[in-house]
Amino acid sequence: MNLLWENLFRTNSKEKSLAQKLKQNVLFSDLSISEMKLVEKIVNVRTYRPSEHIFRQGEVGVGMYIIAKGCVNIYVEEIVPTTGETKSALVTQLKEGDFFGDLALVEANSRRSATAIAHDECTLIGFFKPDLIEVTQRNPTAGVKILMRLGEVLGTRLIETTTKITSLKKEKATT
Amino acid sequence: MSPSERAIVRERRIKLIFFLGSLILLFLVITQVQNMLISFLFAFVSYYLLSPAVDIIERRGFSRTLATVIPFLFAALVVGVCAIIFSPMLVNQLQTLQSNFPKYLYAANYFLENLESQIGSLMQNVYPINIKGTIQPQIMGWATAFFQKLPEFISQSFTILFLAPFLTFFMLTDGRDFSRKLLSFVPNNFFELTLNLNHQINTQMGGFIRARLIESIVVGLIIWVGLLILDFPYALILALFAGLLNVIPYVGPVLGALPALLISFASGGNSAEILWIISIYGLAQVIDTVVLVPFLVAKIVDLHPVTVVLAIIIGSQLMGILGMIICIPVVSALKVTFIALYKHFTDFRT
Repeated sequence: MNLLWENLFRTNSKEKSLAQKLKQNVLFSDLSISEMKLVEKIVNVRTYRPSEHIFRQGEVGVGMYIIAKGCVNIYVEEIVPTTGETKSALVTQLKEGDFFGDLALVEANSRRSATAIAHDECTLIGFFKPDLIEVTQRNPTAGVKILMRLGEVLGTRLIETTTKITSLKKEKATT
Repeated sequence: MSPSERAIVRERRIKLIFFLGSLILLFLVITQVQNMLISFLFAFVSYYLLSPAVDIIERRGFSRTLATVIPFLFAALVVGVCAIIFSPMLVNQLQTLQSNFPKYLYAANYFLENLESQIGSLMQNVYPINIKGTIQPQIMGWATAFFQKLPEFISQSFTILFLAPFLTFFMLTDGRDFSRKLLSFVPNNFFELTLNLNHQINTQMGGFIRARLIESIVVGLIIWVGLLILDFPYALILALFAGLLNVIPYVGPVLGALPALLISFASGGNSAEILWIISIYGLAQVIDTVVLVPFLVAKIVDLHPVTVVLAIIIGSQLMGILGMIICIPVVSALKVTFIALYKHFTDFRT
């Protein structure tokens, strides 16, 4: 390290990037600077190696993950009725800035509906039900802002799912 | 196993060792260092008592440190004022109790002898019983130890009096950061489970301790006022004792009432006085069972009565009265942990 050229006055570059990552996420986009500081203290930053399971389908889930770095593969496991074997199919690959598992934040006794595996070296920001409760207790305004956004996200997903089911039903009816 | 899988397993093992090692180290410090266990217990109780107030103040926009200082100073003021008002009364009652103690011991002895002979005649001496021989040495031991250890206890109290608020303050300001640092050692495959367990146990403990404390204060107050109206001696000590023992389910209320009955018996109290004492303690228990327990405690700790009794027996054998007091929260925390672990490992797919 060259001390003459190195920026010695760069403070909390890691934290800054964490705040930026959070701010980019739809759930935290409405938060003020001070509210964001509280959330930064509460969230859990976790690192995963390539091929490491983040969670498995059927496991108890208590929250969501935001991808700060890397890619995550989402698989759905199905039991083949004829052979009885478990077959997993890649549903999607999520990239930096994406988030998943948000339904577990509001669902009671939530179970993971898919398996998430780190595609490469990943850094995830975990935001779980206890964290949401802590934010709501310590700063109800921030809690409400997050919950409103969460409601919006879940509502959008519901509309998309309903549209998809309707189109599938229409397809089935025409054939 | 591929090299990357081996690396994942290795990392998880290292993290698990660090996490469990930190927990064991913390446990050893709390249990082995002198005065630390009691200080930690007091700190935990104060933490759960003050944390809702700290959260409320923090919600108004104050920093966590300032939000901790305000209720802390208020609590110190309340404790200080209570100490100034009640300590002369308490010291006076303790001194009188110490001087009258041989008289009460003699009465207890007489009571046991009477009980033994009555039961003996009821059973027609078919099966000889020896209540006095069994219980008397124990009572003597407890009583002698209590007054012998009183000066040592008071000197220890000063250490606890300094250490417990110190620990409480840092639990309130940095406790969450500390538990978050500790949780960062948890391997990825157990992280969500541990985080959720930590939250569940914390919520349950908070509710349980606050509920038990309210129960004890209400029971203690009813007994204190009742005994004061009756103009019974040592009202404050007896109420404090009953309030403290009330946290032990089933056995506590009975043990709490015994000293008052023995004192009344030894001072030659008539049957009306004994009846009044039973009524005062009974009233406190009725209010506790009918009003406080269903609203405050029942929903928090859902333990079967047999489990409660077994926990009390094990607690008393391991740590005496302290074990009887802390066994219920410990068992309920263990229950939550076992259920969560069982669900995690067995109830995998639905």
